[in-house]
Amino acid sequence: MRAADGTIHEMALKSSEAVVLRTYPLREADLLVTLFTRAEGKVRGVAKSAKRSRKRFGGALEPLTCVRAYWQDRAGNELARLDSCDVLLSPLASAMDYARAVALAHVAEMLDELLPDREPNDSVFRLAWGVLQALDFPAAAGTGAPEKSSEIWIPVTYFDLWTMRLLGYLPSLEECIECGEPLAGKPAYFHALRDGLVCATHRRIASSEMTVESRALAAEMFRNPVNHFSPERLPTSRLADLRKFLMQIIHRHLDRTLQTSAQLEKLD
Amino acid sequence: MSKFAEPMARLIDELKKLPGVGSKSAQRYAFHILRASDEDAALLADAIREIKQALRLCSVCNNITDVDPCVYCSSPTRNQRVVCVVEEPTNIAALEKGHNYSGGYHVLHGTLSPIHGIGPEHLRIANLVARVEQHAVDEVILATNPTVEGEATAVYLARLLKSSGVRLTRIATGIPAGSDIEYADEVTLQRAMEGRREM
Repeated sequence: MRAADGTIHEMALKSSEAVVLRTYPLREADLLVTLFTRAEGKVRGVAKSAKRSRKRFGGALEPLTCVRAYWQDRAGNELARLDSCDVLLSPLASAMDYARAVALAHVAEMLDELLPDREPNDSVFRLAWGVLQALDFPAAAGTGAPEKSSEIWIPVTYFDLWTMRLLGYLPSLEECIECGEPLAGKPAYFHALRDGLVCATHRRIASSEMTVESRALAAEMFRNPVNHFSPERLPTSRLADLRKFLMQIIHRHLDRTLQTSAQLEKLD
Repeated sequence: MSKFAEPMARLIDELKKLPGVGSKSAQRYAFHILRASDEDAALLADAIREIKQALRLCSVCNNITDVDPCVYCSSPTRNQRVVCVVEEPTNIAALEKGHNYSGGYHVLHGTLSPIHGIGPEHLRIANLVARVEQHAVDEVILATNPTVEGEATAVYLARLLKSSGVRLTRIATGIPAGSDIEYADEVTLQRAMEGRREM
C-alpha cells in the first residue's frame, strides 16, 4: 500500500485456522473463496490462478476443507488476497457419498448465510470444527458399502440446534410460549408462523408435534459434545421433527429457504 | 439516456451476459463487430443462430451433437461396451486428447451439488441406467472430477449400478505426470499412496 509520502507499506500476512465454505469462479483463472476463519470470522478472498494451477492450493479449496489459511488484506478492498492454505482435514480423505455431501453442504450453507462478515465467533467455529470431524466417517469407505445416511442425522441436528442457540435464535424447548406451562413429558407442538413450542391447549391448526424423545435428545445435546452420540442413539423419527422446527426458525429469520434443507428432507 | 445508440446498447447488454465479460469488454467486442465487414458480422450472427438450431443432445450418451447418435456412439471402431461417464461435454474433448481411450461416453451434464439444489433427479442418469440394464455395457468408468461433488456423484452412480453386475471402475487420482511431489497436497499424496501399483 502506497502512503501519501510515497512509502510503500505491505499489509501483514494473516493466518488462522479456517473452514472453506464456498468457491466461485472469478475471471479466467481465479477463485473467489469464502472462508470461516477462527481469528476474523467470515473472510472473502481471491485465490489467484487457483483454477489454472493446482500447485499452490491443490485440494485445499474444496468446500468444507479445514485448513490453516494465510491471507493479506488489501487497502480499500473488502476482498483479501488468499496466499496459501495448508490442509488440516479434508472431506476427500474419506469416502464421499451423497448423504455426506448433502450434510457437508448444509453446514457450509448455514455458516455462509447466518454469519456476518469479519466478526469472529469462536463458539460457532469450535462447533463447526467438531461437527465436521463427526461427519468424517471412514467406515463408509468403498463404493460397495451401503449408503450410511443414518450417520449424518445426529451431527447435522446437533449443528443446527447449537448454531441456533449460539446465534440467539433458539426459543426455550421447556415451556409453552403462550402460557408458560412446562412441557416436560407432555406433547409439544410447533407452527411455521410461531417462534417456539406450545402445549396441546394452544396448538393451532396445521401444527406439527415434536416428540418427547426428540426434546430429551436435544436437552442431552446441550450437555454433551457431538462425539458423545452414536448413530444407534437415533430415534425412529431420525429427529426429523426437531430439524423441521429448527429449519422453520432459520427460514423465518432469513426470509427464504436454504437450498440444502430440501435436499436433507429428500434423504430423510 | 443511454451513452450509445439503441442497437449498440442492446448488443453491449447481450454481450455482457457472456461469462467473464464485463461492461468494458462488451463495449470493445461491440465496437469490433461494428467495425468488422458486413460479411464477418453476418458469419458471427449465423454461427450463433446455427449453434442453437442445429445442435442437440445425443439420444445415447447426451453429448452435444449435430447428428444423432453422435460421432462417438455411431463409430464402428469404438468399443461401445465400455462407457466412460463424464460431467460435461467438454470433458470428452479432454479425454480424447489422451488418444488412449476408444470406448463410448455418457455425459451427466453436471454433478450432484446440494448447495446449488442439484440432486440425482437433475442429472441425466436415466439413459445410462437403461444402457446398463439392457446388458449393452460391460464396464462403466466413472470419470467425474475428484472434487467433493464429483466424488459424491461417482459413489452415487456406483451404488445405483452395483446390482446390475456391470464392472465399475473409477479413474485414478494422484501426482500429475511431470510435476513435483513437493507441490502435491496431503489428500493427493494420500490417494497416490493408496493407488500405488506393483512394478
